[in-house]
Amino acid sequence: MSIAAPRYGATSAVRLGRGHRTLAIVGRELRRRAGLGTWLVVALTYLAVTLIITINTEFASLIGQLSLSTFETPYASPAWPFLMLIVATSVGAGSLAEDVGNRSITLYLSRPIRRIDYLAAKTAATGSWIVIAAVGPGLAGLAIVLALGWAPASLVLTGAGAFVAVGLLASIFFTGLALALSSLTTRSLYAGVGIFGVVLSLEIGAPIVSGLTGNTTVAYASPITDILSVAQSAFGISGPYATDPLTSAVILAFAGVFLAIFAGWRISRVEVVGE
Amino acid sequence: MTGIVDADSVTKRYGEVLGLNGFTASFPAGITGLVGPNGAGKSTLFRLLAGQLRADAGSLTLLGFPAWGQGEFRRRVGYCPEHASLFDWMTGFDFVSTLLRVDGFSRSEAHERAARAIETVGLTAARDRRMKAYSKGMRQRIKLAQCIAHDPQLILLDEPLNGVDPVGRAQLSALMRQLSATGHHLIVSSHVLYEVERLTEQIVMIAHGQAIAQGDLHRIRDLIDSRPHMVDLETPDPRGLARLLGAWDHIVSIEFTGPEKLRVLTRSPEAFYAALPALVVTERLNVRSVHSADDNLDSVFRYLAGGGR
Repeated sequence: MSIAAPRYGATSAVRLGRGHRTLAIVGRELRRRAGLGTWLVVALTYLAVTLIITINTEFASLIGQLSLSTFETPYASPAWPFLMLIVATSVGAGSLAEDVGNRSITLYLSRPIRRIDYLAAKTAATGSWIVIAAVGPGLAGLAIVLALGWAPASLVLTGAGAFVAVGLLASIFFTGLALALSSLTTRSLYAGVGIFGVVLSLEIGAPIVSGLTGNTTVAYASPITDILSVAQSAFGISGPYATDPLTSAVILAFAGVFLAIFAGWRISRVEVVGE
Repeated sequence: MTGIVDADSVTKRYGEVLGLNGFTASFPAGITGLVGPNGAGKSTLFRLLAGQLRADAGSLTLLGFPAWGQGEFRRRVGYCPEHASLFDWMTGFDFVSTLLRVDGFSRSEAHERAARAIETVGLTAARDRRMKAYSKGMRQRIKLAQCIAHDPQLILLDEPLNGVDPVGRAQLSALMRQLSATGHHLIVSSHVLYEVERLTEQIVMIAHGQAIAQGDLHRIRDLIDSRPHMVDLETPDPRGLARLLGAWDHIVSIEFTGPEKLRVLTRSPEAFYAALPALVVTERLNVRSVHSADDNLDSVFRYLAGGGR
């Protein structure tokens, strides 16, 4: 075996722009997260949500009470937030933490890629997986209902719009949360525990604090309560809601964006210290 | 300073620990060896050059650009880290082509270059295997492939021969010389002086985070060879032996290191080793062992780091 120095005739080869380079990382990251665990939890989410939608729709049709609010039931189920937490953990906890922890981030940072592009790629990849789990199952359930002829097309279309709106809002929040916590540690396990810990402690703690202090605005601190209020409003359920849906929507979107910016700030300062 | 890489009083701290301590050196065109013992600061310097660490003080530029930052100039730099986890779930080919796409090459160009770079490092047969199945030597080769695949002007190789078998070492050394001959500039770190000697005569020696010597290897060799040399001797009569040795003009000092041991510092090891057997025979001395205490590279670094004392 002999080896020879490369003789590239293309030192002046056309280099594509930042968008292309960022997409290369997105592609790599999407494939990275496409492991058996991710597929299992996503499949479980699809199964749970489609079953809830189809069974409820069939039941509501039988008793003659089919309406847009029939499709809201996945959000009222405790299974949905739990599954979303697992999805956010499996696709987002290691997103930044693994790269820094095992120093593979060095392979990116030594290339002509800006840290903001790196984070944008990570956000896009993590967000894509979360959108697949947050929006897709509702649409799949409605598609089944439509195919079986259990609900009129106009109602299904309205429901699809509501699923997209609520799912995207939830995706923004969970993506930002996963990235922020992943940027704080070099171990995905810690970030994963953090995702569960933050959301569940707010879900449990907010009503307790609200009850003790008599301050109902504390309820806004719970992202699951916020998502439920927005979902109830989007699917036409009349109040009263635990929180004002519009305010909750703004809080979720702002929190998601703020957390992503925080992750960006962390990444802009990260230094890869060796062994 | 107008080298390919210029460092001026660069300091990097890890909490209480100093990674680099006022490191000043200029790396010229061609191949330059960065030689120093483990923990000397070689990898810290490379990480600073690769934009992964920010210097606490001083100025560090490569190709005229500040090292901290991810500007477009990075496409002119190739970096082969000593410790970096690869994307183990990928094949070697996917790994190199993905990083080429991050460099801005189109998919087809990335594939073409990845295939060529992998062939260059002699890994074509294993290019479609997942990297988690790669040996340490193969991992070094694939890291080298991603480092050279985009045809960079400056190539930073942190301990590139570490873990590579002897045949592979010879091949990769030849490759480095070829890269230099085709106009690439290389900075190659190693804690083994012998490895670097085979590649280049330009070296920068680093110890305790400082550049302790820089320039032509032969001049540095002369400096090393002219240093006082330490010899440990074991004899039942150390005082008698010390009295005889003390008469030699090239002996700098004699120290009793044990009941039957003494350590001699000589300015001329050749003269010492030539005269000792005759002394033993004529004086009927019982010298049980003679051991050169500082033949290893660490002692050279200690000597140079101590300002030649």
